[in-house]
Amino acid sequence: MFYREAGQFKTNYAADQQIFPLLQDRIGIAIVLALGFLVVPALAADYWFSAILTPFLVFSLAAIGLNILTGYAGQLSLGTAAFMAVGAFAAYNFVLRLPGLPHVVSFLLAGVCAALVGMAFGLPSLRIKGFYLAVATLAAQFFVVWALQKFPWFTNNSASGVISAQPVHVLGLALDSPRRNYLFVLTIVSVLALLAKNLARSNTGRQWMAVRDMDVAAEVIGIPLLRTKLLAFAVSSFYCGVAGALYAFCYIGTVEPEAFSLDMSFRVLFMVIIGGAGTILGSFVGAAFFVVLPIFLSIAIPAAAQLLHLPFNKASVTYIEYMSFGALIIFFLIVEPHGLARLWQITKEKLRLWPFPH
Amino acid sequence: MQFFLEVLIGGLLSGVMYSLVALGFVLIYKASGVFNFAQGAMVYFAALSFVGILGLGVPFGLAVLLAFGAMVVLGVATERFVLRKLVNQPPISLFMATIGLAFFLEGLGPFLWGNETREVKLGIADEPIAILLERYNLSVSQFDLMAALVCGVLVAALALFFQHTRIGRALRAVADDHQAALSVGIPLQTIWMIVWAVAGFVALVAGLLWGARNGVSASLVLVVLKALPVLILGGFTSVPGAIVGGLIVGSTEKLAEVYLGHYVGGGIEGWFPYVLALLFLLVRPEGLFGEKHIDRV
Amino acid sequence: MSAPQGAVLLEVQGISLSFGGVRALNDISFDVRAGEIRAIIGPNGAGKSSMLNVINGVYHPQQGVIVFRGQPRARMNPHAAAFQGIARTFQNIALFKGMSVLDNLMTGRCTRMHRHFLWHALHLGPARREELAHRARVEEIIDFLEIQHIRKTPVGRLPYGLQKRVELGRALAAEPSLLLLDEPMAGMNVEEKQDMCRFVLDVNEQFGTTIVLIEHDMGVVMDISHRVVVLDYGRKIGDGTPEQIRANQEVIDAYLGVSH
Repeated sequence: MFYREAGQFKTNYAADQQIFPLLQDRIGIAIVLALGFLVVPALAADYWFSAILTPFLVFSLAAIGLNILTGYAGQLSLGTAAFMAVGAFAAYNFVLRLPGLPHVVSFLLAGVCAALVGMAFGLPSLRIKGFYLAVATLAAQFFVVWALQKFPWFTNNSASGVISAQPVHVLGLALDSPRRNYLFVLTIVSVLALLAKNLARSNTGRQWMAVRDMDVAAEVIGIPLLRTKLLAFAVSSFYCGVAGALYAFCYIGTVEPEAFSLDMSFRVLFMVIIGGAGTILGSFVGAAFFVVLPIFLSIAIPAAAQLLHLPFNKASVTYIEYMSFGALIIFFLIVEPHGLARLWQITKEKLRLWPFPH
Repeated sequence: MQFFLEVLIGGLLSGVMYSLVALGFVLIYKASGVFNFAQGAMVYFAALSFVGILGLGVPFGLAVLLAFGAMVVLGVATERFVLRKLVNQPPISLFMATIGLAFFLEGLGPFLWGNETREVKLGIADEPIAILLERYNLSVSQFDLMAALVCGVLVAALALFFQHTRIGRALRAVADDHQAALSVGIPLQTIWMIVWAVAGFVALVAGLLWGARNGVSASLVLVVLKALPVLILGGFTSVPGAIVGGLIVGSTEKLAEVYLGHYVGGGIEGWFPYVLALLFLLVRPEGLFGEKHIDRV
Repeated sequence: MSAPQGAVLLEVQGISLSFGGVRALNDISFDVRAGEIRAIIGPNGAGKSSMLNVINGVYHPQQGVIVFRGQPRARMNPHAAAFQGIARTFQNIALFKGMSVLDNLMTGRCTRMHRHFLWHALHLGPARREELAHRARVEEIIDFLEIQHIRKTPVGRLPYGLQKRVELGRALAAEPSLLLLDEPMAGMNVEEKQDMCRFVLDVNEQFGTTIVLIEHDMGVVMDISHRVVVLDYGRKIGDGTPEQIRANQEVIDAYLGVSH
């Protein structure tokens, strides 16, 4: 009754094409942004920033990246972590070797590097699709991690292969506290998420979805397949690359190439599935789910074990985490293949009628 | 030349084990159109269950049977709780479900049996075969040869099973066209259970052989990922393709490591098969033995 | 109906196409004049859809030449064909199922949208103006096809008849000079067929679009087309006005079947 479009007439196409055509939604997003930028920084403790909020934002960005490729353009990738690795190590080298460059620019250039690598590994997508392509992206996963380990130049001859991200300065401000890191990441993620949403609703996004839904028809309409797919690979990898740079610089601090494992690629993929493929909102929801779940399990399992007087060891938490991830993925694919974002959509539709049944 | 032969033979023999894993993939893909990413996790889970059961003091033969039993239960459960619920979903959903299954098994295995690396003793030493070493000065592992023989027997047995039994015929019908098979009264779900159980058995054999070689640990899952380029080379639906592809991957990765590896610092075994498969795909997207697909509009 | 005597827009010369050993088309030649409705008929498996696929470049013929707007070419690729103004619909609906009707129609205009993706990302100035201008054109087609009410519905949820109409809309959105329709009325009830006939005729008359149409319903074909080509087992067995085709003995034999 309160959440509906009645009375909000659109008198031109521009108004009809807004991201949030409903006034209530616009108010909602304004509240969320105010919470994120003003309320949370004022209230939350450091633990929240460094253990929950920053990783949530970083993985949201990676999930947006993968969502562009898989959710919008329909090209399944198992190499997300590799593109994140390219971003992380490229950013490290930009900051190291071009000290005059503002750090934000370094991060964006790192994204561009990841985009180039992504395009190289996207080339086979013209000839192959589906599972074959998925396997091909595994090549990126293994090759990139190997190359980062084998060529010491990438890690600045670090003996262990581990790099320590340099301290970041933005506009003369040092990002020396978890709160500042959080605000910086939040800004970048907000801007990039908006750009991704714009892309998705533009001609570019429609071409991606057309290729996803039926590539033969897309070609007949005049959509150049290779260019469209490569653009999806490039933009997707750019997002993953920036996410990787933020992961290294604003979240973890010290990373080694092995950190960007196949396991991480899968986790990002899971975020996309559980959040909702083909929605930007879903990327955030999925990332939130997967950042919070392990923390929840690590608290809940010992408590439950104690309650039931079962033997408990640290390792079992990891195994139960794995099992829950696996079971949840299957559960979601069966129950709600469109992810949590769809549930939100359905809730909104129900809300339009509430409190009346019809 | 001598050295080349040794590397080649060693590669071919280890390739046989890739073939074995790939075989499991192909069986399931043919019968249900599911790209079973969990095949690697199944190999790990089967091997872990086997050593776990053996650790309880059960005799060897019984342990194999029990581990096989566990794989059958797993196959039935997968069909019942995963595949059946996802009928009519796009293949990519099923694929992701199998990634979920892989995660589940990778957690369940060590949760039940612990995660320390275990040895499997099959009673065959990993030593060079004496005659070859004396006569031709060739070092060929006795164990690898034995493993290759086991694989050969297994493949032959499966081929006979699928060619000459009723279940085999039904399975081929299902592979050809699910709807048509269903409409002539073939029980699709039973067939799927059987196929998953057989794939579980193949996984168990592969797990025992790999385990005897490298020990049973979580890295088994990664080794098994090498079976994916094998599939690309051989085609997803071809049993001979899985065999030949495995041999190609096994031999080329060893040769590449030995002859090309030192130019770039070594360790290229990890990705070489993938790049090889990729290059191959650009030339022949349907694989060595796969069927050419014509898009109809 | 008298056939328009316009210039020849499309000429198909000696096209032969085979898949493996199967001959789908055998030395087919015919022409299409600007502004006419040209029907291709024939029994199942006669090669009608293959002919359309050759015209817009999905299939590449082994022999023969296609002359479009005076330019001869041995083969086209679908993408180039689209840019030259050839649009089509498919026998089995080939809409983008996950997208709304509006978005499907907007994709039809992609050959006319030129803004760089970075503009799209910013959603500013030129990209925004371009989007709005094309939206206005698409809305005209939505009005024309009377599908205003389903504008924002995902096409996967629409009934078959409406999907066919949306697919026609997507082809029209490209403002093609040559429109290829592959069985636009297959599987429709009488009422839906009448609607579709009206749309096809209106497109032809109002927009002056040249149409090549495959259809099984003889009544419809004879009513709305100016000239008809008849294919049988990949050969051309008749070509002419509906009256001529009705009187053609070979065509009658092909449809009724005779013992050879």
